[in-house]
Amino acid sequence: MARAKPPFATTKKGIAINLGPDERGLLRTLIGEVRELLTTAPIGDPKLARLFPPAYFDNDEAETEYQRLMRDELVASRLDSIATVDEFLGDDKLKIVTFAQLDAFCAALNSVRLVLGTLLGVGEIDDYLDEDDPRHDELALYNFLSWLLDSAISALMQNPLA
Amino acid sequence: MNTAGVTLVAAAPATIERPEAEESISLEHPWVVLVWNDPINLMSYVTFVFQKLFGYSLEKATELMLDVHEKGKAVVASGSKEKSEMDVYRLHEHGLWATMQQDAV
Repeated sequence: MARAKPPFATTKKGIAINLGPDERGLLRTLIGEVRELLTTAPIGDPKLARLFPPAYFDNDEAETEYQRLMRDELVASRLDSIATVDEFLGDDKLKIVTFAQLDAFCAALNSVRLVLGTLLGVGEIDDYLDEDDPRHDELALYNFLSWLLDSAISALMQNPLA
Repeated sequence: MNTAGVTLVAAAPATIERPEAEESISLEHPWVVLVWNDPINLMSYVTFVFQKLFGYSLEKATELMLDVHEKGKAVVASGSKEKSEMDVYRLHEHGLWATMQQDAV
């Protein structure tokens, strides 16, 4: 599939976003699903394991305290990023994104990848799609998200915020 | 970096480094923050996060990312318990697999 422009490109006007309606719609659906999980899934749901990793390996007391203090902050931060991204992806006229928007995009997209990657049991070599793999379609979606994220990071790193 | 990252981080409590935190480092064993290898986070993303959170140069951030990737883990920061806990929180916020422990790695 030929693609005329990368999803995010540095231009004279700023960082251009080149995502079509279908791609924006797909991304809004996916981040909406993560939002749903964040607000309804019980603590300890394995789908969200990678979003709430342990801070301590061998100190249960400290770990409990960390989760008590930080879990709500982690949820709130992720919901913030998702809200930002959902808003700008819903604006069809938006052609240039700010650093804050793209930074939120990276955070939200990575949350989707962490959940999807966990569900699929993604390993280091799953970049290489096997036609016979029953996870083929989901892995193709996962790889598409990875490619989008890579493009967003590349745009951010070409434009130092300092 | 400013704008997005700092806004998100500034919303969390206790991001201000207090002078007494500095003093406590020399009195007790320092804490280290570790990032562990995982198959999901992209190499470019991990490098970006190290630069964004810790202000590392591209070279330093890339070196740490490669350590994580090739050796399975890397120490990315150290300091007081409070500072380390905030570093771990910010790494978790970005989806990295970070833990903290005292002294020996």
